[in-house]
Amino acid sequence: MDEQAKSEGAEILEVGEFYQLLTAQLEAAYGRRFPRWIRGEVAKVYEKSHLYVDLVDAGSSPGDAKRPVLNAHCWATQWNVLKRRLAGEGVSLKPGAVVNVFGYVDLYAPQGRIGFTVTEIDVSGLIGDVARRRAELIARLQAEGLLEANKRRPLSPVPLRVGLVASPQTEGYNDFTGQLLRSGFGFDIVLVTTTVQGEGAPPQIVRAIEALDVAEVDVICVVRGGGSKGDLACFDDERVARSIAVAHTPVFTGIGHTGDESVADLVAHTRAITPTKLGEELVSLVSLWRERNVRLPAQRLANATEALLDEATEYVAERRRTMIFAVRDRLRAEQRHLVSLRQRLLIQGGFVLESAARMLASTRQLLGAYDPHRRLAQGWSIATTREGTIVRSIGDVQLGDSVRVRVSDGSFESTVTEKNGVPS
Amino acid sequence: MSNVGDWNEAAAELNAIVASFDEGEVSVDDLFVKLERATAIIEALESRLDATRAKVEELAPRLARVAEDQ
Repeated sequence: MDEQAKSEGAEILEVGEFYQLLTAQLEAAYGRRFPRWIRGEVAKVYEKSHLYVDLVDAGSSPGDAKRPVLNAHCWATQWNVLKRRLAGEGVSLKPGAVVNVFGYVDLYAPQGRIGFTVTEIDVSGLIGDVARRRAELIARLQAEGLLEANKRRPLSPVPLRVGLVASPQTEGYNDFTGQLLRSGFGFDIVLVTTTVQGEGAPPQIVRAIEALDVAEVDVICVVRGGGSKGDLACFDDERVARSIAVAHTPVFTGIGHTGDESVADLVAHTRAITPTKLGEELVSLVSLWRERNVRLPAQRLANATEALLDEATEYVAERRRTMIFAVRDRLRAEQRHLVSLRQRLLIQGGFVLESAARMLASTRQLLGAYDPHRRLAQGWSIATTREGTIVRSIGDVQLGDSVRVRVSDGSFESTVTEKNGVPS
Repeated sequence: MSNVGDWNEAAAELNAIVASFDEGEVSVDDLFVKLERATAIIEALESRLDATRAKVEELAPRLARVAEDQ
């Protein structure tokens, strides 16, 4: 051992040479050309352009001074790519997270440290964890009856006063408000500005919802345009979900793209798949109300007015015609009656005249029978006293009286010399 | 123009006059009086109709704008 411990005659490397040898050996086994996957729990993480993360065995105790630590790093160029992908999946590297990293070993001689250059990160485990936490949150909300709580809030039939939780000038904000403005309806938008992504977003969104809930708006709209899962992660936040669920005002959500469904969407009164669709939904509600309560009644009113006027016009015209015909018929009837009377009078008058004529002729005939001339011609005579009185009885004259006797062709004087009564 | 009351009153009176004609209850002496009254009522009703229609036609375009606006 002593001989061996003596450096005389032995190959002696300088430190740099040793590191070169070591580096060569490491690279030959674990270098850039031989990358491998390593599983580890994030113990520390630090980012400054590059990512620096200390990985330890999952579940190992922080108090264990001997637990192995892998000083991993990801250079900025690669990290920016990976970071975007992680954000898109809604995950981030935080202490406690267990990840699989792919890379290779390197040796940093100035500090005598073996490091691990990360070229890829598999976060499927993290995604599964996010999904699990999300499912657990939904289960809790369901158990508490909060998934349906806001859906039971009565919605104004004309939701024109709109509380808006959004970040102005974003695409989602413009899409949503553009729908309302272009509708021509008098939407009154009460905006509470919030950030809509990142760790600071949930408390701001909660405060905005709470403020609008007492602002006497008809509906609260939570709006956020499309983004990665990470961008939209704040809408899976339990605080946001609970604030929506307990709000007294109906909360509508228009978050992300088609297919994105956040926990906020699940607890909301109404969920639209995009901000644009949410704007369309509100406009549709107002349009429907207007259709039912304004346009159709106006149409019915116009039709009924026209029908009423037509009916009244027809009524008056019909009454006018009826009166004309009734009066004409009545006059004609009276005329016919008069004609009938006249004819009856004429006929009856003829009968009367004829009868009178007959009666006159009869009378005349009767009178003729009593004509004195006729009687005188038959041999009868008429005696009269001197005074002209017709002698009807022997008592009318005395013996010796002179009487005039008229015969058919004249008269003569005669003296009463004898009177003889006719025996009865 | 004779006072003929409101539309319903006037229509009722007119209907009664027409009914009296239909039932032959109108004497020749009454005929002219009733015809004159009926004519006055009809003219009054037509006058009201014309006035109402004029007002309706003034409002109709406004109503139509509401009714036809989709």
